[in-house]
Amino acid sequence: MKCDWVRQNILFYVYNELEDDARYEVEQHLARCPECATELNATRKFHATLSEMPVVEPTPNLLTASRMRLQEALETAQPGGFWHRLILEPGVWLRQIRMAPALAAAIFIVGFGGGIGATYNFLSAHGGYGVATGSLESGSGNQPQSVNLAQPLESSAIAGIRSVTQEPGSNQVSIKYDTVLTQEAQGSLNDQRIQQLLLFAARNNYNSGVRMDSVDVLTQSPDDSRVREALMYALQNDTNPGVRLKALDGLSGFVRQDARVRDEVLRALISDTNSGVRLQALRLVEPMKTDSNVRSVLIKLSQTDENVSIRSQARTMLAQMPEMD
Amino acid sequence: MPADSYAVAIPVGESSRSRRAEHGSGNQNPTSYSNMRGSLAAQGNRIDDTSLIREAQQGNRAAFEVLVRHYDQSVLRLALHLTGSESDAQDVYQEAFLKAYKNLGSFRFECSFYTWIYRIVTNLCLDHLRKRNVRKEDAPVAVDASGEEYSRLEQFADVRSGANPERDLMRRELGRKIGVALSVLTPRERMVFELKHYHGLKLRTVGEMLNTTEETAKNALFRATQKLRAALAEMR
Repeated sequence: MKCDWVRQNILFYVYNELEDDARYEVEQHLARCPECATELNATRKFHATLSEMPVVEPTPNLLTASRMRLQEALETAQPGGFWHRLILEPGVWLRQIRMAPALAAAIFIVGFGGGIGATYNFLSAHGGYGVATGSLESGSGNQPQSVNLAQPLESSAIAGIRSVTQEPGSNQVSIKYDTVLTQEAQGSLNDQRIQQLLLFAARNNYNSGVRMDSVDVLTQSPDDSRVREALMYALQNDTNPGVRLKALDGLSGFVRQDARVRDEVLRALISDTNSGVRLQALRLVEPMKTDSNVRSVLIKLSQTDENVSIRSQARTMLAQMPEMD
Repeated sequence: MPADSYAVAIPVGESSRSRRAEHGSGNQNPTSYSNMRGSLAAQGNRIDDTSLIREAQQGNRAAFEVLVRHYDQSVLRLALHLTGSESDAQDVYQEAFLKAYKNLGSFRFECSFYTWIYRIVTNLCLDHLRKRNVRKEDAPVAVDASGEEYSRLEQFADVRSGANPERDLMRRELGRKIGVALSVLTPRERMVFELKHYHGLKLRTVGEMLNTTEETAKNALFRATQKLRAALAEMR
């Protein structure tokens, strides 16, 4: 019944939450249906009534007092930083569990004590990690055992659940899952394997925190054209602006010496979508503003960048240079 | 390390990772974040939060304070309207930004900073509402900063005194009724309604801030309005 649907959506119509097509349909219906129009009026009246409790702007005194109190507390507070990123965030992990019931079941099963049999076939290893498949059957006992969540499988260790089968009429469950074997490599920055993994991480890891850390470490590497390439790749392609900024940091030392780096930074200056990144790139090329390539980019930037601050800084830089032509 | 002597890692060559031998090309000197702040404020511009956040993550307290200024007025406005009390609002403000400061390391630019900070604030507000619900048997009378008693519900009344005392009285009365009606909502319903009706946020954003879906937020809004309409009708 159209009226039912419209009634359910009148509230969202009033709060301007409907998509354009739904909004259109509601309006069309309301023009023809007096009952629904009455409901609309009632809803609007409700909206108006509740708006009689206006949102008061905090007084300047209150705002100032709050700021001062915060400042005092900040004097003694420690910013959380590096270590937090490394610790497995339980909230994220739990959310993954909630959304993957098979995964939750697999972990649940693993928690049971003895009587678990598993067979593993190791397939060929590629680039440092192996893949194992196994089958797992729950223990013999039917009595509830406390789930040993202190030793869960790392969610990243489970590559996928192949099948979950429950034997009918019992609480025996059989789950086939693939695991990823996590390994650890340790070494100095000069170690080839370390460098290889870092370069891989900078490009491929889905986790932007890991990409950021790897780019961070790479920036400390000695002159290495592959490192420079990885940083330029990150600057050009990484979706995360924080990672791009870190890559820019690492390239800052090479902008003068290496034409490719300079061109890449210029490219970022024009086309990066994040104005913070563009701003930093602008600072990096500032010492080279006499270069004709740089100059033509600055001219373009001063006219077409969407960020006012960038446009004006570019203009300032241009003004400081004598005309070369 | 006091903030004003921290070497701000604005990469104009002052970064320790930089290999450039010379530099000093007349750029801002590394410690004067306040100069940058000043000139930008004069231009009426905002540095993209991204750079500020990065600086703050590396321990630059001045950068964090600039970042806070971008959001703190609206945070305070929300806390004030929701709690109805200046001192409670201040507490929420304080806790929220301290929490943000301490957890800045785990912010990975995967959502906007606005959403992230509001998520913290709404969770604190929810805690506040839950605590308040537990003490429902207390009369809604509290003591403000100067030791005066005031009725929490009267905070809601629009106390603009105009030329029409009759209308003022009615307004105050209506404000009180709204306050009573709002108190029948669960903390989450109250939060959703507050963010949607009084702060105009889209339900999708509200969902993100409460770590849930747009659909859930829609349902909460629906339930909240049903309850409110019923409560208001009863009071007539």
